[in-house]
Amino acid sequence: MSTSKISMPKFNLRDKFGDWWEGTTRNQRIIFRVSLIAFFYILPFLDNPVFGTTESDFSSVLFYPMGMYVLMAIGLNIVVGKSGILDLGYVAFFAIGAYTHAILALSFGFNFWVNVVLGMAFAMFAGVLLGLPALRLRGDYLAIITLGFGEIVRIVAINVNFTGGAAGLAGIPAPPNIFGVEFLVDDPRPYYWLVLTLTLLVIWAYMRLIKRRPGRAWEAIREDEDVAEFMGIATTKYKLWAFVLGGAIGGGAGAVYASQVTSIVPELFDLNVSIMILACVVFGGMGNLWGVAFGAALLGYFPEKLRFLSDTRILFFGLLMVVMMNIRPDGIIPRKKREKVYDKNTGKEVSR
Amino acid sequence: MDFSIVVSEFASLFLDGIVVGAIYALVALGYTLVYGVLRLINFAHSEIFMLGTFACLGVTMLLGYTGFEEPIGIGLFLVTFILITFVAAVASGSAAMLLEVVAYRRLRRKGANRLSSLISAIGASFFLVELFRLMTDSKDWDFPRLLDKNSLFEVSSAYVTADKLVVLIGAFGLMFALDRIIQGTRLGRGIRAVSQDEKTAVLMGVDVDKVIAFTFLLGGILAGVASSFYMLFYEATKFNVGFLLGISAFTAAVLGGIGNIRGALAGSFALGLIQQFSSAILGYNWRDVVTFLILVLVLLFKPTGLFGEAIQRARV
Amino acid sequence: MSDRLLEVRNLTMQFGGVTALSEVNLYVSKGEIAALIGPNGAGKTTVFNVTTGYYTPSSGEVLLNNESIVGLKPHKIARKGLARTFQNVRLFGDMTALENVMTGADSRNKVGLIGSMFGTAQSRRDEESSHLKAAELLNFMGISHRGGQLARNLPYGDQRRLEIARALALDPKVLLLDEPAAGFNPQEKVELGELIKKIRDAGFAVLLIEHDMSLVMKISDRVSVLDFGQKIAEGTPSEVQNNQRVIDAYLGVADHAS
Ligand SMILES: Nc1ncnc2c1ncn2[C@@H]1O[C@H](COP(=O)(O)OP(=O)(O)OP(=O)(O)O)[C@@H](O)[C@H]1O
Ligand SMILES: [Mg+2]
Repeated sequence: MSTSKISMPKFNLRDKFGDWWEGTTRNQRIIFRVSLIAFFYILPFLDNPVFGTTESDFSSVLFYPMGMYVLMAIGLNIVVGKSGILDLGYVAFFAIGAYTHAILALSFGFNFWVNVVLGMAFAMFAGVLLGLPALRLRGDYLAIITLGFGEIVRIVAINVNFTGGAAGLAGIPAPPNIFGVEFLVDDPRPYYWLVLTLTLLVIWAYMRLIKRRPGRAWEAIREDEDVAEFMGIATTKYKLWAFVLGGAIGGGAGAVYASQVTSIVPELFDLNVSIMILACVVFGGMGNLWGVAFGAALLGYFPEKLRFLSDTRILFFGLLMVVMMNIRPDGIIPRKKREKVYDKNTGKEVSR
Repeated sequence: MDFSIVVSEFASLFLDGIVVGAIYALVALGYTLVYGVLRLINFAHSEIFMLGTFACLGVTMLLGYTGFEEPIGIGLFLVTFILITFVAAVASGSAAMLLEVVAYRRLRRKGANRLSSLISAIGASFFLVELFRLMTDSKDWDFPRLLDKNSLFEVSSAYVTADKLVVLIGAFGLMFALDRIIQGTRLGRGIRAVSQDEKTAVLMGVDVDKVIAFTFLLGGILAGVASSFYMLFYEATKFNVGFLLGISAFTAAVLGGIGNIRGALAGSFALGLIQQFSSAILGYNWRDVVTFLILVLVLLFKPTGLFGEAIQRARV
Repeated sequence: MSDRLLEVRNLTMQFGGVTALSEVNLYVSKGEIAALIGPNGAGKTTVFNVTTGYYTPSSGEVLLNNESIVGLKPHKIARKGLARTFQNVRLFGDMTALENVMTGADSRNKVGLIGSMFGTAQSRRDEESSHLKAAELLNFMGISHRGGQLARNLPYGDQRRLEIARALALDPKVLLLDEPAAGFNPQEKVELGELIKKIRDAGFAVLLIEHDMSLVMKISDRVSVLDFGQKIAEGTPSEVQNNQRVIDAYLGVADHAS
């Protein structure tokens, strides 16, 4: 048992919830999880004046920006939050996924479900190509290189033919029906469910990774890369994995996005996207999945709810990044771990 | 691809390369100076430049220029242009100092990690871009033609015009002045001391806060002057003008070895020339891709830059 | 020769114009505590940095188990059996003490990222073994009650102990300790000395950098002395203590010998 419990002076949502969570039984946890997930699936039906958005249709807001932000922020969080790699070119993966679906569907008639997977694969491949050389660099240099990568992808999309150039691509097919759900242009709900499902899958994989060896390796790298290397961690490999997995999520998000908006132009994929997603990660709490997801949902939601924010959202996001870093660098729900009680002999966490 | 243009237009491309390089150099110095004292890339520096261009524009508007006048005489031009440059330098210089206070100082005092400072600066940069986008309606803004741009004389294929001469003379004058400040003043020596070894500098009684603020001021003033040269040469600005110029200037600084003042100058002229020649060959659309590629290649293969002093690896 | 686990031959390390090490020969044998001493700036930490692969030596050889490790990445060298601590404590501050040790223990395991994601049998075995290993080492270092606390919240002495535990988790052949007693009071130094002997008796060879002479003299089997990057003496503690060159080297820096 710990002898000196360190008290956290600031109110900490994570701690409050964590205390409660640790007191629950297995069955209670299952019930909690199931009802939470069910709540998210029925969310589009809960449109009402208090909850609903004034600036645009609620279920369309749930898909974009909210759902998209959450999914991409979780992806970027693996890179920035968990591993401490500042990636300013995250939009590139999103663009690669979007163009993969658009081009393969329009030119070769590939099915959306195939294209999501291929979009993720291409994004991962691009991640390896960029990451292998670039991840040797540190901090600010890496940030600039990734930023450049994002811009290059956009400039190339403008200047080559197969992407449709500056005019982009239109008439991108929707996903085929699945489980009797139809994807129609004027109904964003199925797309929301699609993003939600992807997000849940990603969370599932993420939780498994971070509780095990890869999570520890990433955190160690974030805390002190040199020392991580001295402790036998193949830092380059793990950084590359983080980068590539984040990229895959961005790629998948891009394919879904393209299938919903049906037409894409290079200008959609500018630096603003990368920065907005970064702001979501920073706001929510770098390195903490729940904080990041919650923060991204809020940042997606408020500009649609509050008129004064809808026109000035980037202004607001920029300001938010400065303010958060200065007064609450750990975000609204920090990743800081609470003290745990471990079994002295097995090292396993003791559940109370 | 057209290589013959390189031969036929060599002198002209060369002159433009040097002029553009001189503008880059003034901005690159800001990156390099701040990097020297903070060991951080000031992500918002490009926006300090952008702000300067709008300050220039503001002065001409206040003076009643509409953009349809005939170019003014050389005497009046000099007075007007010095006024414009002065206002831009004051605006950019104070904005840079404000930036340091808002985005960096608190984090530095807390000993926050580099990631936090970077993110804070990126946020500030975005805030500024968006602020100006909203204030300027996302439009292109034209700068009135103050100076007759007919060729004064020709050297081979190069048309030497008055604006290019003003930029070159002004930039070199300023670089000389900067050198004097860094070598000859107390605060300038402070900058060098902090750049070399902050801990020792503190022990020697250097007021690091003051030195850092002064560094931002210097960088801001240089960017402000660069913005007035830029406006004279390109005669237009837009809220996002800082982004690509910033990348170019940063690339120049890295090319010369970031933290190294002479290197920043050399890198700037080299990059200006490379850009002119490569755009002539590949087409203007690929200019920024070429710049990025140079940046990436230098960072990957020679991160200390072509003329760089070896940046020490962190000691364990 | 064969019981020399770590051997450094004619090692030279230059930084620009500075020669931090020049033609240094050192070794650590099985079951011994070898000490490396010398005034400030003598090049002791540099020996660690070079042997663990952080710097590539300008010339010379580093052998681990009679196998050259020059040019290998630090993580490869660590896995081959060279673990270290740092002059200024460098823990993973935002991770718990147990997790800190587990990062070291993980490096002996096989499971990769994909295996971890799908929770293969291998991954479960490896997690189990990392947990056990880490818990065992925290016990061994006498800080098992700290397991659940964040490393940066630990008292200084426990941070030092935790750093050693993390290094031991790699199951090293040789443990490199860089001034582990820095900042300790005399009582703590005695305890640490006992602990280091315990580590040796558990089968790890130790190379110890230490400024505290009484500690060095008490626990080490062999002492090497560096001065200005050169080895000026080597021998048993008492031989070295009476060596005139060593005494000269330390003159004027007597505060180190306290
Ligand atoms: N990365 C580096 N670049 C340049 N010089 C270095 C570097 N690392 C070490 N040195 C120099 O090498 C010499 C030896 O340093 P080292 O840290 O090995 O000394 P030390 O014996 O560990 O001293 P201390 O007792 O103070 O820890 C010093 O002069 C130091 O300045
Ligand atoms: Mg040392």
